[in-house]
Amino acid sequence: MALDPAIVSTPKEEKILMRMGVKPIGSRRRRAALQTAANIPFEQLPYQCFQEARKILLADREEKLEEIEVERSRIARLKEQDAAVSGGEQQKQTRLRSMMNYLEELKILADINDPVIKKRYEDGEGDMNKPIYRYLADKEWRRYRRPLLMQRITQMAVVPDILPHLDPVVDIRLAFGRHNVQPGNFIDSRVSEMLPKLRVQVFDKGERLVSLVVVDPDVPDVESDSFKYRCHFLAANIRLSPAEPSLAFSKLSGDTQVLLPWLPPFAQKGSPYHRNSIFLLQQPDGKEIDIASLREKVKRDGFNLRSFSDKHSLRPVGVHMFRSTWDDGTASVMKRAGIEGADVEFKRKRVEPLKKPVLPLPRKKAEPLWKFR
Amino acid sequence: MLLPRLGTPSRALVSAFQRPSISAECCHESFRHLYPATKSPLISFVRHATHKAQGSVNGGKDGAGKRLGAKKSGEQYVIPGNIIFRQRGSLWFPGENCGMGRDHTIYATQAGYVKYYLDPERHPKRKYIGVVFERDQKLPLPRNSARRRRLGLATATMLEETQVEAENDMAVGGGGVSKGREKQESLQMRPGYMYRESNWRIGRTAEKMGVKVKVFKPGDRWAAWRKATARRAKNAERRGMRRGGKR
Repeated sequence: MALDPAIVSTPKEEKILMRMGVKPIGSRRRRAALQTAANIPFEQLPYQCFQEARKILLADREEKLEEIEVERSRIARLKEQDAAVSGGEQQKQTRLRSMMNYLEELKILADINDPVIKKRYEDGEGDMNKPIYRYLADKEWRRYRRPLLMQRITQMAVVPDILPHLDPVVDIRLAFGRHNVQPGNFIDSRVSEMLPKLRVQVFDKGERLVSLVVVDPDVPDVESDSFKYRCHFLAANIRLSPAEPSLAFSKLSGDTQVLLPWLPPFAQKGSPYHRNSIFLLQQPDGKEIDIASLREKVKRDGFNLRSFSDKHSLRPVGVHMFRSTWDDGTASVMKRAGIEGADVEFKRKRVEPLKKPVLPLPRKKAEPLWKFR
Repeated sequence: MLLPRLGTPSRALVSAFQRPSISAECCHESFRHLYPATKSPLISFVRHATHKAQGSVNGGKDGAGKRLGAKKSGEQYVIPGNIIFRQRGSLWFPGENCGMGRDHTIYATQAGYVKYYLDPERHPKRKYIGVVFERDQKLPLPRNSARRRRLGLATATMLEETQVEAENDMAVGGGGVSKGREKQESLQMRPGYMYRESNWRIGRTAEKMGVKVKVFKPGDRWAAWRKATARRAKNAERRGMRRGGKR
């Protein structure tokens, strides 16, 4: 029997569907309701008030479409206009930019009240090439996931420790195989040995080139009695667009994109937790980074993301992080990756006390009372 | 002292006869001249004692000093756990490498030099106490700069304790008498007034003997049902025995 992803409502059926690679649509409650509902399209629903309201919304949409046409023609006219007439080249560009922004706003306003669009977005059928779906996705991300991410990266001090400032505009979801990772989770070293998979959703139109960096800022350095940075992965010239969010580390090409291949995160015994941070940095104006020349220069140990991003004028757009500590699998993971130091343990160094401990005075022997002498 | 008070009721009586009984509120300013003003210096208002002057009021208490205040001054060297400032409430807040105790005491979490400072970007009004590793370092740190952190750890080669102990046990079990004796000799007098192994060693007995416990699976209803049935049967049996004994 073929299962319909729109109406399955029992966990068992859902599991079967998921195994087949089909995701059930919407909430279980909605799917259960749909089983008994007559699936009438919006236009034929017999509610007068609803239909009257739809008419108003449609009229509003028509109005907005007209405005869009007007704005487009205005923009075209301004583009053709001589810069001297419109108050200098800079003035013209500023005006053009603000007009384009207004046009984008109108595009969203035209569709924002459409119930069909809302339904399609919630069913996961939204086309991310269209501004309205990108707008809805961005709004959803900024409601919960982004504040959570910001809290994690500020509380765990990823932001001043690795990069001076960060304003994420890209939604990143991280997974190792089928393990989804929330920002800041402790991940077993055997799990993080696998190549990670990212789902990167950008919310502005067009293609862009990005670099991907994974940095661990908590590598213990005994000589300087401090911590060092280590780069676990570095790739550049990755093409990203809103409609293609999948970014698997395994799919990147070793010749043209990957600079430093994946080094499994590990934390030696006794060292404080390691914050493995993933950064997505946008390359300026779609300019490619010359990988061949960088290959000798870039080193894993002591990798400084601040100087790297400054040198290539990269703009950080997305971040994610997970943590790792010493666990049962770390020694074997290190052995498989050919990393030495699995038998090294970190122990607390004694801090010399300011005062010398006062030794108790030797106890006097109790003397018997005078009359018992 | 008592004289003016004794006069009060009689004064009230006199004033009641002298003045028409019209309250001050209803009496307009323009009509005030119609009424004769009170002439007697005796008939003025009375002020009762509403403010206490004796006893425990007006901050008369003077308890013992609580020895609050700075215990370490600026740039003084401290080690982890040293108390830097004792206070009631949070006059000072813990900054870099400092913590705050449950009575708002500021203490050091790292060895270094104490700094008293303001950090307007973090909070516009709060005063902070921090500890820095180099004496000439300034606090607050420059904007958006990486934190200065100390490792405070030393490396040691890991002892593969479990393996070593397991081997020892094998030797004992297989007739390695000498090692067994050594263990017997090392027994100490311990709490409970007996010569016995230390508690941590007893706790690791199962691990040494290689006793394996089945991993608990929360979703394994079959195992849960079997256990529950066995328990019920056992209880029923026990109950039956008890009843039999009574009869």
